[in-house]
Amino acid sequence: MALMPKRVKHRKSQRGRIRGDATRGNRVVFGDFGLQAEQPGWLPAATIEAGRIAAQQYLRTEGRLYVRVFPHKSVTSIPLETRMGKGKGEPEYWAAVIKPGTILYEIGGVSEDAARLCFARLAHKMPVRVRFVKRRVM
Amino acid sequence: MSDSLEVVTRPATGTRESRRLRRQGMVPAILYGHGEKCVDLAARREALELVIRHGSRVVDLTGAVTESALIRELQWDTYGLEPIHVDLLRVSKTDRVKVKVPVDLRGEAPGHRAGGTVNIVLHEIEIECTPDQIPDKIHAQVGGLEVGGVIKVHDLELPAGAVAVTDGDEPVVSCTMAGVKAEEAAAAPAEPEVIGRKAADEGKGEAEE
Repeated sequence: MALMPKRVKHRKSQRGRIRGDATRGNRVVFGDFGLQAEQPGWLPAATIEAGRIAAQQYLRTEGRLYVRVFPHKSVTSIPLETRMGKGKGEPEYWAAVIKPGTILYEIGGVSEDAARLCFARLAHKMPVRVRFVKRRVM
Repeated sequence: MSDSLEVVTRPATGTRESRRLRRQGMVPAILYGHGEKCVDLAARREALELVIRHGSRVVDLTGAVTESALIRELQWDTYGLEPIHVDLLRVSKTDRVKVKVPVDLRGEAPGHRAGGTVNIVLHEIEIECTPDQIPDKIHAQVGGLEVGGVIKVHDLELPAGAVAVTDGDEPVVSCTMAGVKAEEAAAAPAEPEVIGRKAADEGKGEAEE
């Protein structure tokens, strides 16, 4: 089941612009290693879930995976072959707005090699360029 | 062990001046403590990164000032690649300072071999000690950690003279059996509830009745 908010104030949202870098959620906090976005973009709920499943299947019962993003934004679309007008389309999917620097996933309790291999699998699924980061001591 | 860091005073402060400094390969810094005046400084980025790589918490400042200072806070850029500012606290050998030290797990937990998961609850703990006693890491021996076991802050072995500031009853490492998550209910709603929508609809329905 893809992620989605439980309650929202408005069903539809405007597209918006992704400006600047992430000033929050850009550090590895819960685990030891993280996957950091290098580009701005929208991360659909289905992709977040696909990444989570891919990582979980690789890790099996080892270690712990943390998903650091949540799809708060509804993305609408109008059906194919529909004439212009008649208002905004219906919500199609939910997406997380990603700013450069955002940590998408974290892994704890595994070796660095295992974390790198796991994140390499995830990286292929991501719609933005990502990099491997480690927890910083200072 | 403390490294030396050459610093220069910076005549101007503020965002634009700091950015100008960073473009020149310098990192803005500030030195304070001991009830003396704050001094605006700058250090070469390569020199600062070398100190950070060495894991030194205490540095001997040379150049514009000659004092011992504790690296109290480091600010990094968005990607965590380059330091953009450093806070330096004046310290003497007899001062007691509070620092956060990372926890390092040592050994293999028997609970892990039995199928459990070792969770690090606290990645770093705060200790109080003299500047020359600051350890790089605090080792948590998990050799005796069974499933359901917990290592708390007071179980950790601290260097002589160091006192834990973090509450002693705080769990640091735990070992739990990985539970099988129950499948989510199939009848999950396709759309989230819209705040205010339901109440308005109900009110409308009542009005019609």
